[in-house]
Amino acid sequence: MRYGMVIDLTKCSRCHGCVAACRVEHFLPLHVTWVKLIAYETEDAGVVDVSTFPVRCNQCKEAPCVDVCPTGASHQRPDGIVEITASKCIGCRYCVIACPYQNRTFLSKELDPGYFPGHARTRFEEKGKKLYPHQRGTTMKCNFCLERIDYGMKNNLKPGVDRDATPACVNTCQARALTFGDLDDPESNVSKLLRERKPIQLQRELGTDPSVYYIDGKIGGKDNKAPASAQTGSHIQHLSSVEARAREVFPHLKENK
Amino acid sequence: MERRRQWITTHEWMVKPTAQTEWVDGQGLLIWLAEVFSALGMGLYLVALFYNNWWGQLAGWFIIVGLKLPFHFFYLGRPWRFWRAIPPFTSAWKTSWLARGMFFTLMYSAFALVQLITTYQLEHNLVAASSVGMVTAIDWVMRFLAGLFMLLTGIYCGFAMSYCKSIPFWNTGMLPIVFVIMGLADGLGLIMGVGLITGGVDFHAIESASRIFLLVNALLISTYLINASYQSKTGEYSVKELLVGKSAVVFWVGVIILGIVAPMAISVISLYAGELSPPLLVLAVLSHTIGAFSLKYCVLKVGIYRPVLSKLPTF
Repeated sequence: MRYGMVIDLTKCSRCHGCVAACRVEHFLPLHVTWVKLIAYETEDAGVVDVSTFPVRCNQCKEAPCVDVCPTGASHQRPDGIVEITASKCIGCRYCVIACPYQNRTFLSKELDPGYFPGHARTRFEEKGKKLYPHQRGTTMKCNFCLERIDYGMKNNLKPGVDRDATPACVNTCQARALTFGDLDDPESNVSKLLRERKPIQLQRELGTDPSVYYIDGKIGGKDNKAPASAQTGSHIQHLSSVEARAREVFPHLKENK
Repeated sequence: MERRRQWITTHEWMVKPTAQTEWVDGQGLLIWLAEVFSALGMGLYLVALFYNNWWGQLAGWFIIVGLKLPFHFFYLGRPWRFWRAIPPFTSAWKTSWLARGMFFTLMYSAFALVQLITTYQLEHNLVAASSVGMVTAIDWVMRFLAGLFMLLTGIYCGFAMSYCKSIPFWNTGMLPIVFVIMGLADGLGLIMGVGLITGGVDFHAIESASRIFLLVNALLISTYLINASYQSKTGEYSVKELLVGKSAVVFWVGVIILGIVAPMAISVISLYAGELSPPLLVLAVLSHTIGAFSLKYCVLKVGIYRPVLSKLPTF
């Protein structure tokens, strides 16, 4: 068994729903995000466009972060998920350096000032501290919502199919760009997608064998833009903000007609 | 003033060459210092062991135990859990250079302490005549073990960094060798400083050895940089950062001029002028030391990640 995720870039509407869902699910501190959207600019015949690319911990099969951890705090579960046991982490940050995907975060005091710095914690935060206590001075990252997977396994639910056993970002994705499941099961949704489409892994040449795959290799190309059917208010709102920002940075940009 | 709406920030840093900061900026400066003292301590202890200088050995041991280890300790996010990284509390030494390094350093600290005591006793005739043979034997065994673990302590830092495929500039087998050779050259510089205070150091012999090590070091650093620039686009970017970028001043002034050229010039002067004057020796010690600090700083500073999407036009 090896859990993995397939991200269909042609469907992603860049709504940041996965980012928000992850933050809420794990009560993440103010300046920490486990799921990130990379922004990058492309230019086609003088027309500059900004695209996004969702990334998270790749749960590598040959994880460098696990190899370098001096205490065994970073370890791989039998289902392939790379987990950090915070109580064992000494905060050496070797894993942060060794991760080729820069998907680990060292939780310092600066990253966790409270949701409203200088004010008392909200009830939401207080609850989060009990339900999902993040330890300052240790490293953190996406864990495929393993608490949901564990809950699902105990209750005969199927991760990737049953919502209660599926990562929060996958449940939230409005465009259904994220698919989760067992990569070793040939009948799982992810395995079918991998067979039918051409998946890519990030920095495959490093031999880390990530469990997160991306559909559509035309990164940054025209085909990578979300179809009109997937565009929502939030999508358009986001794009307009990006365009406004791009014009601030590149004032010479021509009108995109 | 116009009120602007705040939007969720996207992450551009993964598609552009981004330098690591965890091990060199902010609290990361402690790692830089710990790395420098690893090299200086190793160099001084091994050189002092070779030239049989007890004070040099003591200073080398102190640099490791009194400076390197505390800096490492205070860098940790959870310092009081440090014991978790030491075998037998962890089995991670099979793959982790940091766990191995912890083990090497602690082994060195213990063996060298015993060696310092036995050597001191033997040098000052504090051992009963009947026990001299046994203490001498212990002393030699401890010298061997302490020397071995000292070398491993000096070399593990390089291996810990060269293991990181995420940072192409570090990801080469030459890095540990560069660190060890530079450490030994700096050790030769420091032993002159010890000799200035305590005496009992053959400066002429030290300068002769120093010339060789500095020459080898210059060749190694050149080869390392050429190799790194050929290795990958990011490696080339790191080299450019080092030679003409933000770290160029530290590299050219600290590593090349003060770390190599100045000590080399001083040792060449000694070749013709014979015994060097104390001010020149102090200058040699200082320039060696500044070179050691600069080298580690530069290498850590230009540790640049491979962009996750490296084939994008932005890169």
